Amino acid sequence: MRIGAAKQSYAADEALFDSRTQRIWLGVLTVALVVLPFVASQYWLYLTCLVGINIIAATGLNILTGYTGQVSLGQAAFMGVGAYTVAVLDRTLGTPFFINLIAAGGIAMLVGMVVGIPSLRVKGLYLAIATIAASFILHFIFANWKSVTGGTAGLTVKPATLFGLALDSEFRFYWLMLPLTAVMVFGAANLFRTRIGRAFIAIRDRDISAEVLGISLLRYKLLSFAISSFYAGVAGGLWAYFFRSVTPESFPLLMSIFFLAAIIVGGMGTILGGILGAIFMTLVPEALKMVFGWLPNAAEMAVHLAPVRIIVFGILIVGFLVFEPHGLSEIWRRVRRFFHLWPFRT
Amino acid sequence: MKPTKWITALLAAAGIVLAPAVQAQEDIVIGGSIPMSGVFAFAGIGIHAGIQDYLKIVNDAGGIKGRKFKYVFEDTAYKPDVSVAAFKKITGGNKVSLYYGDSTAFQRTINPELERMGSIMMAGASLATEINDSKKYPAQFMAGPDYSEQIGILLRHIAKEKPGAKVAIVFSDSEFGRDPVDEFRASAKKLGLTVAVEIQTAPGSVDVSTEVIKLRRADPDYTIFHGYVLAPIPEFVTQMKKSGAKSHFMGTFWTMDSSTVMKLGESGEGFMGVMPYRYYYDTSAKSPMLDKIRQMRPEYQSTPYLQGFLTTMLFVEATKRTLDAGKPLDAKNLKAALNSIKNFDTGGLIGVPITIRGNSIPVGRIYKADMKAKTMVPASDWIHLE
Amino acid sequence: MIDFDWLLLFEVSLAGIGSGGLYALAGLAFVLIFKATKVVNLAIGEMLMMGAYFFFAMASTLGWPIWLGVVVAVLGSGALGALIERLLIRPMLGESPISVFMITIGLSSILVGAVELIWGADQMRLPDFMPSDPVLIGEAMVPPKIFYGFLVATGLIAVVLVVFRFWRGGIALRATASDQAAAYSMGINVPRVFSLAWVVGAMVAAIAGIIVGSISSLSPTMGVFGLSVLVVVIVGGLDSVAGALVGGIVVGLVEAWSGTYLGGQYKMLSTFSLLVLILMVRPYGLFGTHEIERL
Repeated sequence: MRIGAAKQSYAADEALFDSRTQRIWLGVLTVALVVLPFVASQYWLYLTCLVGINIIAATGLNILTGYTGQVSLGQAAFMGVGAYTVAVLDRTLGTPFFINLIAAGGIAMLVGMVVGIPSLRVKGLYLAIATIAASFILHFIFANWKSVTGGTAGLTVKPATLFGLALDSEFRFYWLMLPLTAVMVFGAANLFRTRIGRAFIAIRDRDISAEVLGISLLRYKLLSFAISSFYAGVAGGLWAYFFRSVTPESFPLLMSIFFLAAIIVGGMGTILGGILGAIFMTLVPEALKMVFGWLPNAAEMAVHLAPVRIIVFGILIVGFLVFEPHGLSEIWRRVRRFFHLWPFRT
Repeated sequence: MKPTKWITALLAAAGIVLAPAVQAQEDIVIGGSIPMSGVFAFAGIGIHAGIQDYLKIVNDAGGIKGRKFKYVFEDTAYKPDVSVAAFKKITGGNKVSLYYGDSTAFQRTINPELERMGSIMMAGASLATEINDSKKYPAQFMAGPDYSEQIGILLRHIAKEKPGAKVAIVFSDSEFGRDPVDEFRASAKKLGLTVAVEIQTAPGSVDVSTEVIKLRRADPDYTIFHGYVLAPIPEFVTQMKKSGAKSHFMGTFWTMDSSTVMKLGESGEGFMGVMPYRYYYDTSAKSPMLDKIRQMRPEYQSTPYLQGFLTTMLFVEATKRTLDAGKPLDAKNLKAALNSIKNFDTGGLIGVPITIRGNSIPVGRIYKADMKAKTMVPASDWIHLE
Repeated sequence: MIDFDWLLLFEVSLAGIGSGGLYALAGLAFVLIFKATKVVNLAIGEMLMMGAYFFFAMASTLGWPIWLGVVVAVLGSGALGALIERLLIRPMLGESPISVFMITIGLSSILVGAVELIWGADQMRLPDFMPSDPVLIGEAMVPPKIFYGFLVATGLIAVVLVVFRFWRGGIALRATASDQAAAYSMGINVPRVFSLAWVVGAMVAAIAGIIVGSISSLSPTMGVFGLSVLVVVIVGGLDSVAGALVGGIVVGLVEAWSGTYLGGQYKMLSTFSLLVLILMVRPYGLFGTHEIERL
């Protein structure tokens, strides 16, 4: 059982990680993440890199949907904007990857703000539908602006290079992905200790009240869209460097739904939720594949894997919304509380 | 075709093929990203069986230089990202020399990785014009004509049948659909045909009445459909025929499986299309390999089956030539061996001996639907593009 | 242009209005559910699909007569609608509309998976049951399926309008739509109304699905149709039956014209641009109720 923590300053009280236990666990996690690429197989590293990219995108969506209450089904399209930005910059200017990634975030941010403009006029579901429209319009641009985007065939991207070293294998890419994901996640966590972040939460809880409190809805809704699409853009840029081929079909509406599902399952409005959701949703298909492998007539059942995967995807969304609306992060919190309070009953 | 029953049989066969046996020498591994489920499952299941059957023939005969082939596959549901993951998984766990990819998107995405690894030669379900470029895709090939070449074969047939005919193309707004449109224009011009109209249909669009109206106005002698499997071809064909239009209708490879064309029903009478291989039931000429297939599988096998079968045959042939030359099995040697194939007899799968210069086999033949007999019958000789 | 082809425009417009009728019918299914329960049902396209597949199972697989197949498919879809309402929507009463919206996203995924599991992902064709000879209006030729589909659609919409006006259940539904609490206190069984709305919505969707399926083909991706339906109901107003009809025809015409004069790739672009335009100018649609928000 945990007893009270003596905090002697506001800084200590506000710290993201406020106890020694937490810091120790964070250290353990860091060590584990550093050791991972040396022990994991190529395939698991591939999945880890994918998880990292998804965490960035899901965290971005969480800022917009989970914290500001603006439902968006355009996250994948914004990722596409980021990916195309990287691809185009890489081909035309040949700028180094960190500049490209920032540019990817920046351009996606601008596009996100344009898409966010209707949020001033419409909200809730109407907004969600407007973002669906935006994704189709962006898809049209990707597919038809041939001189820039290469049309339906898309563009190929050279691997990112760091000190002359091409980051072309999972092992090398991992070292780009890991720090970037960490920075983005900590950035998001810190955002909600500032005025901006709290304004977002106020808008989510009741936008009219927030306006009465003096929060400019125009400014903060657009800002939320901007930050969220910045995250999507960076994730998309990473995606481009990871897969090294960008086509209009790479970022379907289904992918946006995937991110929405990830934050629902993980827990909306918590940073941990975005992380857990992205990990969970990326790995569920793998787990399913494993379960199918154990079935007695595994080979026969393999054909049913894809439909079952789609059904499970739907059931996860519905199940979490009905039974555990606060998602995995709430379950995680309960588990932690159990240990904190042990041996007392929670 | 009862899928489940069918697959059971397949997998039983697979069990025999893959049964672990003590081998003196290392197996040669063929990896596969195979769409066993999802929208492309009809092809994936056939391809899978084709690969297995040919490997069974080879392995039963003792393999190549005492080395057997092992086939490792994963289901991709026809999703490029899943396909990439499958590739990573299979190549991570095996020493893979040959690989079957399931889509243009996957084969393009994985291409830089292939070049980096340098150890794998790939072929696959993609017949995209883009892949048929041995500079950009040095480690890949396709066991048939690419989409542009298919259109070229169709147009050549048209030009011979009715010089100066008016031709139209109806294609889907997708990468697959847009692929051969430039070639269609250029080829038609070269062959002295008039392009009546080019119609692009929205993906997943339900109602094509407005497109049919447009097509009817253009009144083509021949209409080529590309970028579809089935829908919306039936609606086009039915509406056109009912309105009294005289056009002939044609399709490309993925539409041409016998069972797909038969779904057109009555109005599909005379539907034509380009086929790089002989149909399963085509007994118009001697074909020892088809006899063997018919012996192994008494029921109809799809055109994707033949595609998988032939791809594997070329995989094996390239391996054999590489090993015969005493060279190590890597992408460069395998591809060089593949390109050394001249006047190769496919056992009648393709009616003429084939020569592989680049990444494709630019040969095909026009088949025509006979709805009464429920079969496709040859409507032309084998057409060889230079 | 001097030699502008007026007949082409006329034919294309007729085809557009015809397919607009189908949009309207699917839009009607959406509006029925939204009006009573305030649920934005993103799974509407998938409900269409289920209806079409039920019909396929009866008429093709079991070989039943067409009329029986239609009746059973519609009843089956109604039962499915009731099931969905009971299992997924009822527990969410009182939750934010956004959560329910996401439930329907999950639902669409479940339905697609179920269809793929049972019938596979291959495209299939429904038996032809409509006359296949083109209909002549003046000089213009109208594709038969579109023509008869339009007749069915407008007929059904008329029936629904009448039912809303005169039948007790229809009045209960309208009462619930305008004020749930008041409806409750007047002795209307609101949960029953909810079920009713889903059942009727699913049945209408099934009819739309059968027509749509027979025009093109059956596949698990049929649900994409639902996205256009979303545009239809936004244009017409989410809670307006007449709006669904007008919205359907507007969207049908816009698609037909852009497809003809610009090219197929512009169809989606133009419908979704229309959607954005409507959202910016008149978010509650042409005939929708403008809700006033109070603190």
